[in-house]
Amino acid sequence: MSDTLLIIASALVQLCIVLIGAPLIAGIIKKVKARMQNRKGAPVLQPYSDLNKLLKKEVILSSSSSWVFRATPYIVFTSILLIALLIPTLIVPVSLHWIGDIITVVYLLALGRFFTALAGLDTASAFGGLGSSREMSIASIIEPAMMLAIVASAVTAGSTDLSVIVSSLVSSPVSLIHPAHMLAFIGLFIVTIAETGRIPVDNPETHLELTMIHEAMILEYSGRYLAFIEWASQMKLFLFLALLSNMFFPVGIATSVTAAALIVGAVSLLAKVVVLAVVVAVIESTNAKLRLFRVPELLMVAFILSLLALILYFIIGG
Amino acid sequence: MVDANTASHLIDIFAATILVTAFLIVSSRSLLFYVRLFALQSLLLGMVALLVVVGYGESHILIAAVLTILIKAIAIPVALNRIIKKIEVQKEIALSINIPLSLLICGALMIVASSVAEPILAAQHQTTQTVSRVLPSSIAMMLIGLFIMMTRKKGVTQIIGLLTMENGLFLSGLAITYGMPLIVEVGIFFDIMVAAMILGVFVFRINQTFETINIDELRSLRH
Repeated sequence: MSDTLLIIASALVQLCIVLIGAPLIAGIIKKVKARMQNRKGAPVLQPYSDLNKLLKKEVILSSSSSWVFRATPYIVFTSILLIALLIPTLIVPVSLHWIGDIITVVYLLALGRFFTALAGLDTASAFGGLGSSREMSIASIIEPAMMLAIVASAVTAGSTDLSVIVSSLVSSPVSLIHPAHMLAFIGLFIVTIAETGRIPVDNPETHLELTMIHEAMILEYSGRYLAFIEWASQMKLFLFLALLSNMFFPVGIATSVTAAALIVGAVSLLAKVVVLAVVVAVIESTNAKLRLFRVPELLMVAFILSLLALILYFIIGG
Repeated sequence: MVDANTASHLIDIFAATILVTAFLIVSSRSLLFYVRLFALQSLLLGMVALLVVVGYGESHILIAAVLTILIKAIAIPVALNRIIKKIEVQKEIALSINIPLSLLICGALMIVASSVAEPILAAQHQTTQTVSRVLPSSIAMMLIGLFIMMTRKKGVTQIIGLLTMENGLFLSGLAITYGMPLIVEVGIFFDIMVAAMILGVFVFRINQTFETINIDELRSLRH
């Protein structure tokens, strides 16, 4: 009985860290970018105030929107919360490992994406439809690349369960320097940038109609709906960075539910995610956004790198 | 000194990186990137050869390794850069197959290469040797080099395709027999260097005559 309680408690801790940590990471990225452009930039804690402000603001709904538009923020938010319990952040095995594995995660991401695209179409605004069609066409390359990158790591562990993958990496650190593992990391990193809508694939800070993808779909949202969507996309970034850091450098992740292990897990998780966030910020500052028709080239590189990773596993052996 | 185990790890990593540079060449659009990636590829190839020297004590390919770095990683890229600068061509490459499709085809070539290499490795009864694991990558590089020559239309890109094929040959030589005899290697090096120089001059002359290095224009010679 106390075991169950412990697992529930650790799941709650994990959720809190993701919920509270995500805006912080977004703030850090913004700050690093501002410093690199010789600006002072908004305080690191600004995203919290933004969310707080949005939550208090009134919601304005387009008269042509339906229930899909109103339901989407909650669907996106809860699907991300479920993912937070399905991918290893603080502790392995993950809290909801009996629900599913990496394939569930990919489907939950697809669920959120599907409803966001529907909501974009729902308001009958031209920008929404434009964003939805771009998002779906890019997703058709992101998803296979992501699956291949993770499958390449899953092959050595012999399971698509993320917890099993991470624990097998913890027990045999030699496989961390396997070339296939490194290629899969680069592939998944490009996927992360595309999936979370960062430069060079999408620009999260612009509302210039020619370039926006994700922002175009959520253009009509306001008030607490916008807050939920923004928060969810910040958490998505946080979770992808956590997945990258734990699948490829599983240092310090807790393997048992004790207070000390959890604290070590949380500190190392935050450190790794902050490092990756700084890398993302540097990439954003030093690269221009790709033309939309060039985006498939970049994503195809991610796909091919993941494919190479998989082939190299079979050539070189685990 | 590096022991055989560390060396084999490093060879695996370097060989994978060499393969990635071949794919990056296919994915890039700028002539300058072609040359830079080729230089990187040759440098890594030289490192693999050096690792075979250090890790397995095969000292006879030391000269080949040094020559690889000097000629293919430094001399040829510098010469190609000079040609590109001199003829001031458009730095964008010309292709007959778009980049995403090219990458997919090269991925398929990689699969072909690994299935071709499998019986060779099985017949060799040397599965314990790390270096022979490089064979599929080297065959893939030869195929990708050929693919670059077939689908990229500018003179300089053709040279890079040829040189990528040659790098693949060198790698496969390392994989199967720890490198060919020195006299053969040296012969190949001079061959490659002369070929690169002549092709470079040739590209330069093509540019003077036709004011482009797009080889499609050569068809007009038939009339």
